[in-house]
Amino acid sequence: MKAVGARLPRYDGVGHVTGRTRFVDDVRIPGTLWAKALRSPHPHAGITRLDTSKAERRPGVHAVITHEDVPQNVYGHLQALGVPADEPLLAVDDVRYKGQPIAVVAAEDEATALEAVELIEVEFEEREPVLDIRKAFDADVKPFHQWGPAYPHFGPYTSRRIRKGDVDDAFERADVIVQGVYRPQAIEQLPIEPQVGLSVPEPDGRLTIYSCTQAMYFSMGVVAAHLEWPLNKLKFVGGTVGGGFGGKVDTATETITALLALKARRPVKWRWTREEEFLCSSTRAPWHMELADAVTSDGWLLGRKMITLHDAGAYTRFSSYGVTKHSFHHTGAYTIPNLRFDGYVVYTNRSPTSAMRGFGVTSVSFAVEIQMNRIAETLGIDPLELRLKNANRIGDLTANRVRLSDPSTVPVVLAAADRIGYKLAPEFKQMTSEPRSGDLLPDHLLTSVTRGGGAETDGRGA
Amino acid sequence: MAKHRGRGIATIEYPTGMNQNGDPSQAWIKVKPDGRIDVFAGTVDIGQGSKTVHTQIVADTIGVPYEWVTMDVSNTDSSPICTGSFASRGTFIGGNAVRFAAEQVRERILEIASKEMEIDAADLEIEDGEVLAKGAPDRKLGLADVAAAATWTHGDLLTGTGAAFKPYSTVDDDTGEVDSEPHAAISYAACVAEVEVDDETGEVRVDKLVQVYDVGRAINPTLVEGQIEGGALMGLGLGLLESSYPYYPSVEHRGEQFGAYLAPMLEDLPDLDNVILEHPSADGPFGAKAIGEMANNAQPPAIMSAIHDALGVWVTEAPATPERVLNAIQERKEPQRDGKRVVYDEEISIAAVSGNRGKGGDGEGFLLPDE
Repeated sequence: MKAVGARLPRYDGVGHVTGRTRFVDDVRIPGTLWAKALRSPHPHAGITRLDTSKAERRPGVHAVITHEDVPQNVYGHLQALGVPADEPLLAVDDVRYKGQPIAVVAAEDEATALEAVELIEVEFEEREPVLDIRKAFDADVKPFHQWGPAYPHFGPYTSRRIRKGDVDDAFERADVIVQGVYRPQAIEQLPIEPQVGLSVPEPDGRLTIYSCTQAMYFSMGVVAAHLEWPLNKLKFVGGTVGGGFGGKVDTATETITALLALKARRPVKWRWTREEEFLCSSTRAPWHMELADAVTSDGWLLGRKMITLHDAGAYTRFSSYGVTKHSFHHTGAYTIPNLRFDGYVVYTNRSPTSAMRGFGVTSVSFAVEIQMNRIAETLGIDPLELRLKNANRIGDLTANRVRLSDPSTVPVVLAAADRIGYKLAPEFKQMTSEPRSGDLLPDHLLTSVTRGGGAETDGRGA
Repeated sequence: MAKHRGRGIATIEYPTGMNQNGDPSQAWIKVKPDGRIDVFAGTVDIGQGSKTVHTQIVADTIGVPYEWVTMDVSNTDSSPICTGSFASRGTFIGGNAVRFAAEQVRERILEIASKEMEIDAADLEIEDGEVLAKGAPDRKLGLADVAAAATWTHGDLLTGTGAAFKPYSTVDDDTGEVDSEPHAAISYAACVAEVEVDDETGEVRVDKLVQVYDVGRAINPTLVEGQIEGGALMGLGLGLLESSYPYYPSVEHRGEQFGAYLAPMLEDLPDLDNVILEHPSADGPFGAKAIGEMANNAQPPAIMSAIHDALGVWVTEAPATPERVLNAIQERKEPQRDGKRVVYDEEISIAAVSGNRGKGGDGEGFLLPDE
């Protein structure tokens, strides 16, 4: 054992700090054209007229594409996993967020491309945007999305549901019910390198795509689907990314440059400006979470009711995935036997929200952990001891009914307590992750009732 | 007008790998005629250091010096599929792909060495680039000689392939129950935030973060610390500074430059006390679990609780801007008490804001599902 466990330096470190790493924008191919997009100036509008002919005739312009140039315009990033598609690559009849791309130009240089974008004739019919997810189902709010106010494809449901144990009974038995609302905001992934892509038509008919994607095969699959091409006609070159943090999971430039390159028969590069990176790319989602917890006066968590609204922005992208992941982790690092959870993916007229570091769980950690401290305050119980008491233990059952094999709630809390010199009662100080027994295996963790009526053990005894 | 100090804790967990699995990572390895190792994989190094970590895993799995291993993750022609560098899957799933490929290569090396040394492959081991007879370490053959023999004597190519994959886990839409474990592993962390809050300006300064991460096994402790410290700043931004929509839910007045978007800078970096625990996972490479994404999840709630400890008020809309902190101080809202029910934040709830108290959806309403 020599390498594993060693503090070896990152082998791209020297290149990065001396400016010698070659990122996508550093790749220069002779004859490359530059792309610029016509984007929606409105959060919500109908497109009543679109005419690109003047732009096409401008000297120096080699190709203009609209939705009519895309073999498969509507494709979903998770279509392969059975999530239906809802987002057009280029807008068709309407625009649903400020910055949504409508047409893209490839020209000799960026200035010419920008001038050509100005020559595209487009007219809009402005519509009222939907912005507050809490009002999405209100009678006076007209949904703009063809599927309604919220994603309706969680099987037969409009929400991802968790139903476990007997929640009503838990709330009946509770000494105290603590209820709170938690609203973490949208933020930017904030990479130093904005979205950038370069597509090169090769003499043999293949396309080489230089990409800053976090996922070469994933993005290649998306491009192949839009083009209706087999994978062997595409070659992705990547593996060097100037910051991703989830923002380079969505396929932003690759398909557009591929279509322009094929139409113009020239290499095409599209590098987003910093403004585009801020205003048009995906963000972390804003979330709205309401929790009600049934607790005993000595600090046991008997049950939780929770509703989550996830602000998806204008289209689904990975939101349904994010909400399912969120639902699986809505008890945090603790074992709660009785659960009723509903998570909605709600559409609003903002840039589609998408993956970012901690996707789906950053939000739930925020809600659950403040809630835990509120419970401790309400009951007058030590916040660390409350956590240790309800901590995940080996053999405990999760929200989605998985038996935990190696949880570490107890060791991380004890290590943190030790580090800050925190005084814990001896029975907590000696706690481990081993299966529950004695006082730590109370009746409510021994038997809860399954939906089929059978008994189920939430804490498996030693 | 005073400064108040407070301390808050958060404990979190985070899954390794895509939720519900079904996310392959694959790799293949070839050995050059001089015994040096070429690894081909599709795992994009997004700055987290996955190439370095994977190289370490391959070096130790085969038994060669780290410098002998070269990784190519540059293109899809030479690399097999990797689902992507997201979902905290690089070290565990990408790492298993290169580990499995390296295990095959190791077997192939021992096969050729066995012929050359006339010793049963089961009685051989590889250490630091040399094949040794177990218990008789003076009987040895350099890997360069083994690779040369494979190439020039046996007309063979030493290769290995690895595919890390856990089948898709199906979820019951009625109950959320899964038919198999929907993750590769789960990592845990705790964070204690110490803050100072100015009750005149509403400004919050994080002085110290104590952060404990159980990563199963730190393949490269420096890179684990890089994740912890980078994540700490990102979490601080989430908790205190950043907002894509400063007047959310309005879409107006968005920052569109670094100068118009408040993100943490190095000067915001608090004292960091990092603790790495290593309770190994059963299936990860050398016992590793993920660290990547979870590293920005624990600070925001720990900071909010520290603000409460300092001032006695709760801020549950992030970020805790000076405006929100000052409003909270001014309003000093107490929870509504109704029998055994203690209700915080009622004024920002769906019921308070929605015109029809959130009724809608699929018939169950849009409120806490009991109303």
